[in-house]
Amino acid sequence: MIPQSFDYSAPATLKEALAQVSSGAKPLAGGMSLVPIMKLRLAAPEQLVDLGRIPELNYIRKEGSELRIGAMTTHYQIESSPLVRADCALLGETAGRIGDVQVRNVGTIGGSVAHADPAADYPAALLALGASLKLVSTGGERVLAAAQFFLDTFTTALDPGELIAEVRVPVSSGAGTAYVKLAQPASGFALVGIAARLVRAGNRIGSAAIGVTGVGPKAYRASEVERLLAAGKPTREAALHITGGIDVNSDLHASAEYRRHLASVYAARAIELAWSRTE
Amino acid sequence: MKISGAYRLSLPQERAYALLQDPAMLAHCMPGAERLDKVGEDEYQMKLRMSIASISGNFDGRVRVADKNPHQSFRLVVEGTGKIGFVRGDGLLRIAAEDSGSNVTYEGDVQVGGTIAAVGQRLLDVTSKMMIKRFFDKFAEAAASA
Repeated sequence: MIPQSFDYSAPATLKEALAQVSSGAKPLAGGMSLVPIMKLRLAAPEQLVDLGRIPELNYIRKEGSELRIGAMTTHYQIESSPLVRADCALLGETAGRIGDVQVRNVGTIGGSVAHADPAADYPAALLALGASLKLVSTGGERVLAAAQFFLDTFTTALDPGELIAEVRVPVSSGAGTAYVKLAQPASGFALVGIAARLVRAGNRIGSAAIGVTGVGPKAYRASEVERLLAAGKPTREAALHITGGIDVNSDLHASAEYRRHLASVYAARAIELAWSRTE
Repeated sequence: MKISGAYRLSLPQERAYALLQDPAMLAHCMPGAERLDKVGEDEYQMKLRMSIASISGNFDGRVRVADKNPHQSFRLVVEGTGKIGFVRGDGLLRIAAEDSGSNVTYEGDVQVGGTIAAVGQRLLDVTSKMMIKRFFDKFAEAAASA
């Protein structure tokens, strides 16, 4: 279908984009979610600001012990970046599992994170990594931990007029990481997605961080599983607690019961794979 | 789609029962409700602007309170139709005294149709739950300051 008509602008600087967003224009990142719903006329923004022509939002660089990734960096750029592969393999692996190659070529990390789909892939990895987000508006900037950013289904801590400028992930040194998911075949969205980050202490798990997506109303950290793993419990036993305290989603692709089972199986797989990659 | 759940309110049972049927409270707490006008006994006309993710749309609908069993239970029927689809919800709310407050349990059926349902199948359950939670959160907050 054809969307309702709208005004379109593609500024070259973040400053211009922020001025427009603060006066009510809808930001357009990769458009992998927004454009289809506009075509279906489920959304009819009057004015779009395309962030795709702003060079200062597209970069991957290392600063101190962090990787800093501009919001308009595409999934493909992240997946194929040698810097990401070397310093934060989990994020690269996660980016490589998003949707299909066409989506990854156009979709951006900032767009996906701002959209906050409960089955999006990045949130699981960002939570497991302890990532943070730099948010900007005409009034200034602030940095927020990913755990404080995702509030609920499609609901984030972004204020009106605010944009994500940068994603910051700590460099993983020595940790073993893995992202495994069961994708719904048509949409590519995760029925279950598990991001695991393990630090080895001798012959056992020293600490664990497990991010889960697709399972609850928003992505979450499975803190009970993390605690059990660090306490030396066997992987499969710990993984059974992956949905503890979570109101598990149910839809026509997977009932809550099936999803709960899948989550424990995929959690065990993610933990085993991450363990095999620890140094 | 079946929905059910529970929510704890720090309100006495009688007051919770009355406020849950109070049109001013319903208009204030239903996510996106813009106005609620009385059209008959326990029946209201509603204008609602739903906005979730980037999707937004206006709905015209009706809210009806039925099967009143004072202080214990009633049925709430909500219907809305708009360009992007339709929503119909029919739920039984039970209010029980618990300690110093009350416990509200709900059980019902939600039907969603039209374009939103066709493309949003995988999100219907999770968004319905979120809307209900938003309603009760706002309700608890408004009731505490009322």
